[in-house]
Amino acid sequence: MTNTVSESDGRILLEARNLSKRYEDGVLALDNLNLRVKEKQIFAMLGANGAGKTTTINLFLNFIEPTSGEAIVDGIITHIDPLKAKTRLAYVSENVMLYPNFTALQNLDFFARLAGRSDIDEAGCVDILIRVGLDGSAHRKRLKDFSKGMRQKCGIAIAIIKNAPAILLDEPTSGLDPQAGREFIDLLASLRDEGKAILMSTHDIFRAREIADEIGIMSAGKLVMQERRTEIQGEDLEQLYMTYMSGVPEPLQPA
Amino acid sequence: MYKTILIKEIRDIIGSRKFLVSFLICSLLIIISFYTGAKWYENNRSRYEAALSENIRQMSGVTDWIMVKHHVYLPPDPLAALVAGVDNDIGRDIEMFAVGELTARDSRFSDDPIFSVFHFLDIEFVFSIVLALFAILFGYNMVNGEKEAGTLRLVFANAVPRHHFILGKMTGALLAVTIPLLIPFCIGSLLLIIMGIPMDTDDWIKLGLIIVSGLLYFGVMLLLSVFLSTVTLRSSNAFLLTLIIWIFSTLIIPRAAVLIAGRLVQVPTVDELDAQKFGYRSQLWTEDMQKMNAFKVPESKNPQEMIDAFHKYMGELGRQRNEKMDLFNQRLNEERRNRQNNQEALAFSLARIVPSANFSLAVMRLAGSSLELKQAFLSTAQSYQQSYAQFLGSKTDGILPGSGMVFRMINDDGQEPVPINPHEIPAFVYKNKSSGQVLQLAGMDILMLIGFGLLFFCGAWGAFLRYDLR
Repeated sequence: MTNTVSESDGRILLEARNLSKRYEDGVLALDNLNLRVKEKQIFAMLGANGAGKTTTINLFLNFIEPTSGEAIVDGIITHIDPLKAKTRLAYVSENVMLYPNFTALQNLDFFARLAGRSDIDEAGCVDILIRVGLDGSAHRKRLKDFSKGMRQKCGIAIAIIKNAPAILLDEPTSGLDPQAGREFIDLLASLRDEGKAILMSTHDIFRAREIADEIGIMSAGKLVMQERRTEIQGEDLEQLYMTYMSGVPEPLQPA
Repeated sequence: MYKTILIKEIRDIIGSRKFLVSFLICSLLIIISFYTGAKWYENNRSRYEAALSENIRQMSGVTDWIMVKHHVYLPPDPLAALVAGVDNDIGRDIEMFAVGELTARDSRFSDDPIFSVFHFLDIEFVFSIVLALFAILFGYNMVNGEKEAGTLRLVFANAVPRHHFILGKMTGALLAVTIPLLIPFCIGSLLLIIMGIPMDTDDWIKLGLIIVSGLLYFGVMLLLSVFLSTVTLRSSNAFLLTLIIWIFSTLIIPRAAVLIAGRLVQVPTVDELDAQKFGYRSQLWTEDMQKMNAFKVPESKNPQEMIDAFHKYMGELGRQRNEKMDLFNQRLNEERRNRQNNQEALAFSLARIVPSANFSLAVMRLAGSSLELKQAFLSTAQSYQQSYAQFLGSKTDGILPGSGMVFRMINDDGQEPVPINPHEIPAFVYKNKSSGQVLQLAGMDILMLIGFGLLFFCGAWGAFLRYDLR
């Protein structure tokens, strides 16, 4: 099913439509979620542990099937055509753990092939590694010798090499030192400027406010707040976050 | 996609330190097993030749064929030195009689019990103990390890069909781990050639089949551990579970199967049989003694005629007694053999539920060192007994040692008696089964191994199609 939605301010590349997930043990992890991420947009999902952020990402990746509703990637419903949907999607995990016995180049080459980018040669891989901030001395190092920041850069390099229109990031900056975090955020900004739609789950309120175009707060499987960054610039996001976390939120209705 | 995963898996395994270390250890053990096997064969060969020479030497001074004590020996086999099986446990020396029952005595372990303490580092041991453990080491975290590391999520964030992934992982691991093992086997084979171990084409084919069976077993253990890595959440659990299965399958179930079969099917001991045989023989003797006492030698002036009449009578008595004894022995032996066959069949059937038993039985049969060896040696000796009796009869005017009392007239004409020529005795030839025959014998176990491999392969495949990728 292809139903690419076009709007005046950009194509919707990631969409959760009435998306719910109840696990086998009865826990309702996601409750009627509705969100959209357009091209050239970064959407930051904030929320405590268990709020439903990772479940949302798992549904977009089709690692789990929705109980109801749809996760849609570039118009493709993920649980109907998961393989096709995944060709439009790149993913960077919280703690990028690539193959430790492979070098950065070998890892990148492997994931490029998985992404169907066997046309990219070693020089192309080198360019991308340099772009994400890994200098030449690291390219032929085995991943087991990499710091977390370097592994995250490799993770984003894998997302870049795939050249997918949508990117999912699961806590990408957690555990990074300030400089590595800064570099990572700069990279995301450049990807957004290239037209990517980025959905990022994070605990980091300050990074979210710094980079996201749209910020959503999730609680108990519901999106309890969704605002444009410009609308909350003046507000104390931390205070807002704590308010929504402690209060009894009403889920937002689909736009 | 399959090819990409296959190549990655091969590169990942071969590039790991785990592979390097385990490959070096395995290679060393395989080469050592070939070397010690070859040395053991050389040692056995010289003992065998010494025994043959001693047999000839002991007969050399004898001047009467009736007094000859001839032995036949089971020749050593290079393959049995590489896969010991029961080769060292069975009797290798049969004292040959023209008539009567034959018994194999003097096993290698009865001569040198030290070697039976820890047994040998043969190919069967290397595969079933060492290589099986290394297979577990490579397979136990093949799937759940990727999940723990987070690479599974990254891989499946791409358009990778699950069956391509699991197929690529399994075939990649099988190729990466088994193909390099051919190198030490080639070096080991070269060692056999350099050390001058006589191997004919059939022996090489059998050795090839042994190695293929070993690699098949190795693959089965690898697939078992991959299967367990797809049905357990944590790699540590998979490792523990695989190790427990290995312990049961290699060390406990085959032994338990033999114990259970031993309890369920009672086989009389050789001593019990000997006691019965002795009792019957004594009874026959007692009966014959009465007949002998009643025998009246026909009066004649010619002593030779009297002796001939005595021999004729005694010969007939002896022949009848031997016939009765043979029938009795045959019946007892057959009963025992049947019970033993039933016991073995039950033990093997029970043991065959685990791949290690299939592997051990297959390679022993391929190497000719399985339980059948004892019976094959005895059967060959029994066939030889007929030609030996014929030969001896031709030398003693039909009087065979063991058939009763023999009186001989010695014509003391001052001439030295002419010694016999022991080289006239027909040679005992023990022929090993051909590669086709042993393959037929081992076929069922090899098929069982293939079946186990397919079962674990399909199990891993099926489990992974429903695997939780989160």
